[in-house]
Order: sequence, then structure tokens, then C-alpha cells
Amino acid sequence: MPKDLNDEQVAKRTFESVEAVQETFARQNYIADRPLALTVMLAAQLNKPILLEGEAGVGKTEVAKVVARALNTELVRLQCYEGLDAQSTIYEWNYAKQILAIRMAEAGKHEAALEQTIFSEEFLLPRPLLRAIRHHSGGPATLLIDEVDRADEEFEAFLLEVLSDFQVTVPELGTFVATQPPFVVLTSNRTRELNDALKRRCLYLWIDYPPPSKEREIVVRKVPGISDQLAQQICDLMSTLRKIDFYKRPGVAETLDWARALMGLKVSRVEPTMLEETAGCLLKYKDDIERLNSIGGARLLSGDIPEN
Amino acid sequence: MRESANNLYDTLAPTDPAVEAASREFIDRMFEFCRLLKGAGLNVTPGRIIDVFKALGFIHLERREEFRLALRANLAGSREEEETFDRYFRAFWDQEVGAARAQVPTELEANPEDPGKEYPETPPDTAGSPRQYSRDEVLRDKSLVAIWPGQSLDLATILREMSRRLATRPSRRRVPSRRGHRVDLRRSLRKNIRYGAEILQIARTRRKIRKTRLALLFDVSGSMDTHGGFLLQLMLGLQKGFKNSRTAVFSTCVTEITRALRRHSLERTLSEVATMARHWSGGTDIGAALGRFNRELLRAGSASSTVGIIVSDGYDQGDPAVIRKEMQAVRRRTRTIVWINPLLGTEGYAPITQGMKAALPYVDYFLPAHDFPSLRALCKVLGEV
Repeated sequence: MPKDLNDEQVAKRTFESVEAVQETFARQNYIADRPLALTVMLAAQLNKPILLEGEAGVGKTEVAKVVARALNTELVRLQCYEGLDAQSTIYEWNYAKQILAIRMAEAGKHEAALEQTIFSEEFLLPRPLLRAIRHHSGGPATLLIDEVDRADEEFEAFLLEVLSDFQVTVPELGTFVATQPPFVVLTSNRTRELNDALKRRCLYLWIDYPPPSKEREIVVRKVPGISDQLAQQICDLMSTLRKIDFYKRPGVAETLDWARALMGLKVSRVEPTMLEETAGCLLKYKDDIERLNSIGGARLLSGDIPEN
Repeated sequence: MRESANNLYDTLAPTDPAVEAASREFIDRMFEFCRLLKGAGLNVTPGRIIDVFKALGFIHLERREEFRLALRANLAGSREEEETFDRYFRAFWDQEVGAARAQVPTELEANPEDPGKEYPETPPDTAGSPRQYSRDEVLRDKSLVAIWPGQSLDLATILREMSRRLATRPSRRRVPSRRGHRVDLRRSLRKNIRYGAEILQIARTRRKIRKTRLALLFDVSGSMDTHGGFLLQLMLGLQKGFKNSRTAVFSTCVTEITRALRRHSLERTLSEVATMARHWSGGTDIGAALGRFNRELLRAGSASSTVGIIVSDGYDQGDPAVIRKEMQAVRRRTRTIVWINPLLGTEGYAPITQGMKAALPYVDYFLPAHDFPSLRALCKVLGEV
């Protein structure tokens, strides 16, 4: 990346067109189809967050990682979970250090002065949102808000506020405003519907499982040394498996795991028994594995999809 | 909308070169398209429309695919909305203006009462089915009148009580409390600075009380027809009372109506639900419906806070083995299963239909809900689950 670029323009320049996004992503070994590339381009140009929804394992989180590498900036990740509260995503005070400072000061200082000391930047532990907002070197930070559907609705409301103003407040220190808004990627596995207001704030994209041709390309790029034939066979099988009504259909992550496992076993062609033995790479529920075994590897490898 | 379109045009026009460059005619078409999407239930707001126009400045307008994706990224908010968008996009932009108008259901929200009107989205194969849902029918519905004699007690009261009773589960979130168990370091330190950080007062937190999540599955097949009005009220009421709940209706297939219920007034919702749930009053496939219920409404993570409520009479055209299997899965994904059967209040009724027999072993509470006292009972049970 040229050094003379104005920092704020980095994202806009790097993602200036659909083709540019596709090329940049390809350099990071990520195959971006046109809808994704266009969404990334628009997000950079319009300064809007991207909301990616899709089944687990289709590469949603990876998008943020690739963006961070492409912009050559810090990836700030906020993993959501039930009960996550607003404050702990902004900052925390370093209590141990504060208490130590108080002890060292002993009775020598005034209460007010002491308070000012221990509630200063020195004792502040910034959490993801504050980190992303205060980020100032290089281009904008990339903020990944992962599995936002796991957090509760109160947190969503708070997020909405952050995403519209890009500012957060630490009561003891004041308000921090982003000098350059971070590039924000939100992901959701859709275990629940997100708030309309949050959705409205974002550019939306549903990411589906890749078609076999694209998945083959991904496998070939990510699993070095794999033969075209094996990659093709793996991806055809994945597309067959995904048409079956498993509780948890295998994602691209599973494809890659399996491909690596097969490489490790020095397999050049998948045989039915081999599929059944390594099913644990692909399916993570007992019921699903039983289902696969009852259908039989031979039938699946021939591409025969049983009635649900 | 027309007026707001003009206002928007005025705000946009001087500032944005992309807009200025486009012809007025094109802009009108864009607004028309946005209006259409709004009618189709997409959440189209002036802010979003402005973003759409801004986005146009960064794409090659002459490339249809880019045009479509740029619009879609800004205007759709879920996978279903993406599909709706694509359908409307094709109908609107790929044909002559006149033809598009004739084909796209612009009247969707305008006139739900028109008795002779067929919803344009209804596929031909259900056109001859027993009935289409319309507001008139709800109002005329006998069971609805029977439920609320004299209208002295409304559903809202009961539902308020229900939500109060259900609001008793401790959350993972913590709130300040004197009698809490966990020490809140941040607040403790704050409080004790005045004593030179000698910890004299300890601030504590307790777990916040939080509402149970409801997952509702309503049978709207032909055999449930007589309970239609009551069903709708219950659906609406529960959805409004429990912010965290999700609702789906089924007969031969399943349609999630959470968003429709959440967003609009009763009337608007009725017409929208009728359009979305095209299978309304068709046959029943409980097993398949439970499958979708499992995979979509009960997905991952929150089994301990979810109460599954299924409202159906248990008349089923599918395979009871499937029902058994899916009910097992529902069990794994919920804390409690409540099955409400409107027939249960009828004299001489026994749950002997195949579907009902298959499901019953997995149900925690099997309840009637055909009249006011039974609803009271339901409310009491929900308070205990």
C-alpha cells in the first residue's frame, strides 16, 4: 500500500470498485463473489457497516479478517454472548493497579486529586469498542462484531448508538469520538431476528454455501498440494450433503477440515468407507452422523440424494 | 409517500452529483420502486432511500447486476427480504412499465377489505381452496364473539398478567443490588475512595430478572378454521407481550410471521399474514412443520430460556413417526413444551387422532384454550413453567 495515501482514504481507495475488492480479497486467498465484493465496496464508500447473515461456517467472520489484512490495520474483535453488557465492551478500570496507587499515595494526597489520578488513562483498560474508536494510526480499524444474534436486545440498542455516532463515553474521562470511523462487519447466525433499526443502519448480505465450482477454488487455494480430482470430488459431495436435511449442515470450514484430514491420511480418492469413518469432520451431531451412515457412503458419493 | 418523495428529491438534488446527473424520470421510477417494496413489507425509510442514491454514484449504472445488488444491499434486511426484493426487481425493471404495473401487486396494503379481491401473490393452485382470509371473516367469526361475552374482559388484560408471571427467570445480566451475591469491583472502589480505598462498603450485584423467550407455532389449517379469530388475537397478544418471542404459522408449510406481527397494526398484520401465509386453511403436515420449527425458530443456544407453545388440534396428514422424531428434537431445544388444543374443551373429546397421540408423550402441558376460563388456566401454567 502506498504510504502517501491520506489515512482516511485508505479504505475508499483500496475498495474503489468491485474488481478491486475481488482482486484484494483474492490476494488474501478469499474468493469473493460479486454480491460480496459490491457490498464491501459500498460499505467503504458510504461508511456503512456490513451485516452478514448465513449458516455457520460459510466464511462470514473471515470477511472481516480479510478486510483488516487488506487495509493493513488492526482487527478489533467483539465476540457477543448472552448477557454481554455495554460497559464491558467499552472499558474497564485496572482495579489492582488503582488500589496499588492508592496504597502508595497513602494519606498524602487529597481525595479529589487521588481520584483524578486513578481515573486517568493510565489506569484505563480499553475494550473492543473503545479500541476501535480510538484507533488512529494507519487506516481505519476493522471492527468485527461477531455473532451479534447471541447478545440480547438491550445490547443491540446500545450498538445502534455506537454505530451511528462512532463515539463512546467513559464517565470519568469524557467522550471519545472516532477520528476515522472503523470499517464495521457484523455477523449473525440468525438464531434470532435482529432489530429492524440495526438492520436499517447496515448493508445487508445473506451468504449462502458456495457452489461446487467456487468451493473447489477455495479448497485448492487453502489446502496446498491437493489434487484437482480430490478437490472436485470433495466439493461435489459437500453439495450433495447440503441438500440433505441435517440438523447442522456442513459449512466451508468443515470442507477444509475434511480436505486437510484426507490429505493427512494420504487419500487420493474418497471411498465410501473412508467417508463414513471421517464423517466426524463434517457432521457434529450424533443424529446427523447416524443419518449419514444409514444412507451409506456409496450412495452419497454417487450423488444420489435420498428423499427427506 | 408522493409528498415525501418530492421532499427527498429536493434535499438530494443539489448535493449529490449522481442524483443530479440522473434524469428526473429515472428518479421517479426509483421512488416508485421503493414505494412498491415498502408495500411488500420491506423496511424502506427515507434514510435508506438516500443511501440508495448515494450508492448509485459508486457503481456502473449500466450494469444491471451491480444496480440490483447495490439497491438490495441497502433495502433488504433478511434472506426472505432479499428474495422478495429480487422478485420485485425482476418484475419492475425487466419489463415494460405497463406490464410491470399490472403484474406487481401494488394494491397490497391499500385495500384488505375488498371482499371479492384475491391477493395477487396467491398461487393459482390454492385459488379454489375453501377460503381466503379477509378481515370481514375475522370480524364475523363466531368463536371470537363467543370468547369475549360482553367484551368486558379483553385479551390484553390476560396477556399482561401472563407476561408478568413469565418474567421471573434470572438473566446473565447483572444489576446493582444491596442484597446481591457478587461484588461489583468498579462500584466498590468508587464508593471507598473517600476512605482511602479502605474497603468499608461493598457494592454488590444480583442477576437481573428476565423474560422467558416464547416460540409459538400455530396451526392454521382447515380443521382449525373455526378458531381462526381467537388464534389471531392470541398470536398478536403474545407477540406484543413478549418482545423476545417468535411466531410461525403452518398448515402444509411453515411461515414465520414474527416481523409482520411486530411491526404493524392489527389490520395491516391481518392482510399481510394472509398474503404471507398462502397455505392458510389448507391441509396439515405437523411433522414437517415441527421440523422447520426446530431448525428455524428453536435454533441453538437458548434452550433453557425457551418455552415452546404449539397450538393445534392434532389432525395430521403426515407420518406420525416424523412427529415423534421432531417432538424429541423440540424437547431438546426448549425448557418446556405447552400444547394448546382448542378441541380439548369440547365435550367428549379425547386425543385419539394419530398426530396428537404421537406428540402427546413429549408435551409437558396439554391445555385447552377455547374460552376465557381456559385461558386463565393457561396463564397460570405459564406462570409456573
